[in-house]
Amino acid sequence: MDIPVTLVHGLSLAAIYGLMAIGISLLWSSIGMINMAHGASFAVAGYAAWAMSEAAKPVFLAAFGKGIAGTAAMAGLTLSTGAAAGAAMGALIYLLAFLPIHDKPNFPVRSLIVTLALNLASVQILLWWFGPRQKNLPKIFGTGKVEFLGISARYDQIGTILATFAILGLVLLWLRISRKGLEIRAMMQNPEGAVLSGISVRWTALPVTMLTGALAGLAAILLSQTIFVSPTSGAMPLIKGLTIALLGGLGSVPGAVIGAIIIGFLEAIIGAIPFLGQRYVLFGTFLFIIIVLIIRPRGLGGLLDKARK
Amino acid sequence: MTEKRFFQIGQRPGELMLPVAGDTPLNRRRLPFTRRHLLKWRSRLNPKTLQQERFLADKKPLWWTIALVLLVVSAPFLSNSALTVVSIFCIFTAINVLWTLIIGTAGIFSLATLAVVGIGAYASAALNVYLGLPWPLMFVAGGVAGLIVGGFLALPSTRLDGLYYALLTMGFAEICRVFVQQLKPLTPMNGSINNVGSFIPKDWFLQRPGLLLGFAGAFLLMLLALLVFRVVNSERLGMLLQTAREDEAFAEATGIDYRRARLHVFLISSAGLGVIGAFYAQFYGSISPAVFSLDQLMLLFAMIVIGGLGRAEGAAIGTAIVVLIDKGLLDLGPLRILLVAAIMLAVTLFTHNGIAGTRDQFRAWRHRKQSEARARRTEKGGEVMPEEAIEIADKQAIYYRRFEKRLRDRLKALITPDLIEEHRRSPLGQHSDGLSRVLNHFRRGEVADKYAILRQSGQFHAYKIVAFSGVRGAPPRLVDDRVYTDINEAYHAVFLLRVNDLMES
Repeated sequence: MDIPVTLVHGLSLAAIYGLMAIGISLLWSSIGMINMAHGASFAVAGYAAWAMSEAAKPVFLAAFGKGIAGTAAMAGLTLSTGAAAGAAMGALIYLLAFLPIHDKPNFPVRSLIVTLALNLASVQILLWWFGPRQKNLPKIFGTGKVEFLGISARYDQIGTILATFAILGLVLLWLRISRKGLEIRAMMQNPEGAVLSGISVRWTALPVTMLTGALAGLAAILLSQTIFVSPTSGAMPLIKGLTIALLGGLGSVPGAVIGAIIIGFLEAIIGAIPFLGQRYVLFGTFLFIIIVLIIRPRGLGGLLDKARK
Repeated sequence: MTEKRFFQIGQRPGELMLPVAGDTPLNRRRLPFTRRHLLKWRSRLNPKTLQQERFLADKKPLWWTIALVLLVVSAPFLSNSALTVVSIFCIFTAINVLWTLIIGTAGIFSLATLAVVGIGAYASAALNVYLGLPWPLMFVAGGVAGLIVGGFLALPSTRLDGLYYALLTMGFAEICRVFVQQLKPLTPMNGSINNVGSFIPKDWFLQRPGLLLGFAGAFLLMLLALLVFRVVNSERLGMLLQTAREDEAFAEATGIDYRRARLHVFLISSAGLGVIGAFYAQFYGSISPAVFSLDQLMLLFAMIVIGGLGRAEGAAIGTAIVVLIDKGLLDLGPLRILLVAAIMLAVTLFTHNGIAGTRDQFRAWRHRKQSEARARRTEKGGEVMPEEAIEIADKQAIYYRRFEKRLRDRLKALITPDLIEEHRRSPLGQHSDGLSRVLNHFRRGEVADKYAILRQSGQFHAYKIVAFSGVRGAPPRLVDDRVYTDINEAYHAVFLLRVNDLMES
């Protein structure tokens, strides 16, 4: 077991899972909805980015050549396409799973079921449209390795970690300083109070769903540097994201970050132990979470901040 | 004489009513060793025909019987593939009914249903194949395995919240899948156990008689599951838990240990699921790790969601729809799941609690519309509206109220400033026709809240207006504090108060 490699690998996994988990957690705390279609947003964004990059490849090759400029342009294109497709998917989730039923009885369970149905449907549509073959996204961070302080890391791992930090920083900054962010935070703290002070539930929910969709889209692009895009590629990140969101205590952003880091490193370590290996990763994660939940029934939430019940 | 013709009014004009034979005693058989009746027969007097009639107040048992009998009767005429689909429907209905017991009755959001089924199947199949356990004992083995696993899963169920517990159980299913796939002795078969002994003889397997026998077994299994549902859900345990569902604190205060009741329901269902697992292994003759897969679980979830959570008929309807699409329309390919997802979406968006809940939802909607319509006609002024009329047994009261309303309408038209001025001039004595009609109506009024003049004791020419309570022994209440020094003035004040009440009625 190579400790530095495990460390970098764990950090990059934690970054991607963190993006997914924070999306799920934000959505739960602000509008009280468990988004099971988060994995669908992930897969749709991956396919959209793949289609866009395939279409743009000859154009970019002619315009920028094979150098760093071409890679950068391609990176910008895939990232923005992924984010846009994820946001569009978020808007669709808003239209189908939030708008018609958000003031009806049983909203949490019904929205969960609707998003689950959306997930099933979108996986089947992707399978039907693109076929079961896996697609390969362009390497937006290039290929190669870098040595730093005796730790060797691949470009895509470093890129993923840095990009995640940048994205999460921007999102948290936006939540902190913008008017809409203030409204969303008010909704997270006390939905009734927010409504009474004139904040519209509908106009807060739309940006939140789109934002979390875009986060899933970006996570898809970043994770697709190491795995392929396939119709069912959203399932694992969804399960991981949900797991981490629950481990961190639903609705708690710091909890989700801590949970992502714990799970990321746990997976990297289990994957690196010779007699366990990749096949036991999910096994080990779930075992860990079950133990945590038995000790602390609401996850890590409540340790760090107050979460929506 | 022509036959009397009745108009079709009321909420269910077409409902079948049985006559009551007055000369024979009513035969109400009870189930042996219980005080329960099989059917909910009620009798009442029809106020329109003035005949005694008998009707089935709860028709669900009737529909269940019709559906189950149809299923059994049609089975021998089905093709081989259709028979398989129907058998699978029966097995999945059994699973879903027990799952409904866990989610609906006990209120535990467990996703480990298929995991328990799988463990029951694996345990019993392994005992059969490797230790030579005869097949009838496999059911016992499966039940015991289910009970043990259920006991383990039940431990954190009272501590954890719904979603957290759902995640935990999902994780448990995943752990089971990986564990089975990694088991050394099973690796050559890719984690599955084959050649399991079965209630279907070996040479009948996948033949017509074998399929029929399989269906018979599956049908019996479904009946047993429905029986378990009925016994647990509507008897003591279910009643305790229903109290707890409505108000946990109240249930606890009245001494109901609902956590224990939940645990019992969970354990009973888990044991049942284990038995179903043993049946599952026998039915297919093998068991593979696919039973633990997430896709299968999602499909099962779609079934109970489409049918409606918390009801046995919901579980059956949802299972029928999904199994029919998933196993019956194999030609559609991946479009099947899309269809299931679309149905799931539509059902969730438009109904509050699945297809089984549409009846209640429709009734609530109709009730709302009716009361809206009633509110729109507030001008009725005390008259009985038709939809109220069918609920009032004494038809005389309806006509009396109509008469009163018309009388008041006519009197209101009589009241003019001239009339009031006439009364003011001479409260007693010769009155015009209109005024005497109005006064006669006032005199006829009920005693409750009737106005009267009270002479203040010890004072000369000092009067106050009071209103009778209408109850013997309860003193009249003072209407206002004003003291009238002239009796005629007091008479006129009472008159004005009554006119006011009349105009407002």
